[in-house]
Amino acid sequence: MAAALALMACSGQQPSIDAARVLRDGAAAMAQLKTVSATLKLTKGTISLQGFALVSAKTSVRLPSDSDTVYTVKEQDVTIGIQVVISAGHVYLHVPFSTFQELTATQAAAFPDMAKLFDSTTGLPAIIPAGSNQKYVSTDQLEGTSTYQVSTTYTPDQIHSLLAELNSSGPVAAKVWVGVSDHLIRKAVLDGAFGDGGKQAVVEVSITGFNAAVNITSPTP
Amino acid sequence: MKRPLLLGLAGAGLFVAALDAYVVVTLLPAMLGDVGLTIERFEQATPIITGFLAGYVVAMPLLGAYSDVRGRIPVYGACLVAFAAGSAMTATFGVWSFAGLPWLVAGRFIQGLGGGGLVPLSLALAADLYVGRARTVALGSVAALQEAGSVFGPLYGATLAAAAATAGGWRFVFWLNLPLTAICGAGLVLASRRVALPDRDATSSIDWLSALALGLGLGLLVLALYPDDPEHRAANSLLLPAGVAALVVLVAYGWRQVHRLEPLIPRDLLRSRAFIGATAANLLVGGALIVALVDVPLLARLVFKLNQLDSGLLLTQFLIGVPVGAAVGGLLAGRIGNRLTGALGIALSAAAFVQMSGWPADELSLHTGPLRQADVALAVCGLGFGLVIAPLTAAVLALTRGQVHGLSTSLVVLARTMGMLVGLSVLTAFGLHRFHQILGTPVLTDPDLRARVKHLEQLVAAAFLQEYREIFVIAAALCVAAAVVIAFALPPARKSGGI
Repeated sequence: MAAALALMACSGQQPSIDAARVLRDGAAAMAQLKTVSATLKLTKGTISLQGFALVSAKTSVRLPSDSDTVYTVKEQDVTIGIQVVISAGHVYLHVPFSTFQELTATQAAAFPDMAKLFDSTTGLPAIIPAGSNQKYVSTDQLEGTSTYQVSTTYTPDQIHSLLAELNSSGPVAAKVWVGVSDHLIRKAVLDGAFGDGGKQAVVEVSITGFNAAVNITSPTP
Repeated sequence: MKRPLLLGLAGAGLFVAALDAYVVVTLLPAMLGDVGLTIERFEQATPIITGFLAGYVVAMPLLGAYSDVRGRIPVYGACLVAFAAGSAMTATFGVWSFAGLPWLVAGRFIQGLGGGGLVPLSLALAADLYVGRARTVALGSVAALQEAGSVFGPLYGATLAAAAATAGGWRFVFWLNLPLTAICGAGLVLASRRVALPDRDATSSIDWLSALALGLGLGLLVLALYPDDPEHRAANSLLLPAGVAALVVLVAYGWRQVHRLEPLIPRDLLRSRAFIGATAANLLVGGALIVALVDVPLLARLVFKLNQLDSGLLLTQFLIGVPVGAAVGGLLAGRIGNRLTGALGIALSAAAFVQMSGWPADELSLHTGPLRQADVALAVCGLGFGLVIAPLTAAVLALTRGQVHGLSTSLVVLARTMGMLVGLSVLTAFGLHRFHQILGTPVLTDPDLRARVKHLEQLVAAAFLQEYREIFVIAAALCVAAAVVIAFALPPARKSGGI
């Protein structure tokens, strides 16, 4: 496909890329992952995490269920890093300067489970190809990697399935960047009414470290 | 009218640059938050202030001589361009992925280089334009603008950022420097065409080796004092090698300066007890002054929970005290002498710091009659600093003849800025380590995240309060040491002669 794309580019023709196939290939490639890292940034709107305004989240995931996530939140204009480690079915919380504390099941439910974002049945691999209005947009370079940019639209239920904390009051427009050669999803931008109070919000997710070594902190309560 | 306009424009540029020395103090939490630096990595903010001061100190002793060769106005313009470029770098902190903390520190250093260069240039311009008593008044006015700019910086930053909240907030403060410097620069070029300035001195040259040595020495010093792991140790892991290297390089720089500067600064002056005493006192005063300028707004944010604007406003009484003290100090020094005025002034600041070292968490609710106790302490503290600044400068000027007044005033500012740089570096390292010692590792078992964070905030505020109390005690000790130095080194009233 890459060779065909190069040939088209040389001849000045617009390449005809099957957006649905790009997303299907992306989902299939993501379903094979054992480890992955992701950074989520809120670029528009407000999403609260237990009353704190979420700025970003950086996670390292070892599938099927372990994750180490640092949520950066704001209290007035002071920025605080809150770390949540999910390991072997236990959930630990670390707030700055203190020790890790294991959370009860009820307490743990208040935090997103980032491993589920990459779950093959409910996460990105399952949801990514299921969008409507799929369109190829362009071929872009993302940090030295050639990617197809595809636009699509997801329903509120599909978005909620990705992350339970994202409750949209309407369809969510998405742009997805999928690697040309390895089909791995490098980046996704979600734009919809899933902010606090059903307001517009934009979330940018950058995905890296595919099957690379990840560091899941060993909590020492 | 042409000369005052030219000097006024040069002074305006200097004032804008001096404002930026501590403008970041009240803006730091917002700036760090914008790039995701969290509160537990607060020590990373130190180079944002020390970077500016280091640039300031490097440029100050060098650019006066350079402007002798290249001309005052072109070099002044180059400094304004450097200051504006550094401001633009600071304003774009975090905008691109490569514009992280090193970008910000580099921007602040370049700002400092440009701003620091304006000090000797403005002083040299004042010396070029005026003679006799008018020259002393002009030099005093330029020095006062520099002092006023640096002490008003935190309040200026907080007020401007609040007023421009929808226009970029803290970034606006730095973007504004671009039109301000452009106006000053353009005005200066136009005004200089109507004023005859002395010919360039082709025999003078800039001492690049000294510039390199001073920059390297200060860089090593800042590195040695940077608290890289305040949770486990007060000093940097490279304290010993970097500290020794800094000492060697700075001593070599000093030795070279003593010999190179001999034609400019008479040997007798360098050996004068009064000059050495005034320089030492300025170093100590700088170390104490930085505590008020930096730690009071931070205390207001972290302990008293004031917002950005109110934390800057808390310094208002201090900022009023400084110029009032300077005016009173000028009058008093004429009657009772520089020694007594300076020693009494800095002793007053010491007393205020002692009172501040006992501040409780609810200090801002405590009143004496209609006055808030904290405001009284800060006003007295500022008054003391104002009282000591003028006599120390006057004592050095009294030792020198008119033609080296500019250089002498520049050395006074340099000594105080060095005191601020070292004082801030040392006290930040000490303070952060003490903070971690006092806080320990709390075990938080509150039922939800919000309750845990609230609980943590209380513990953190208590630890910060104790840390700042101890820093105020150190500041008081620095003031007492300065008072002793002044009392022993400066000559009594009516006993000074020009060298």
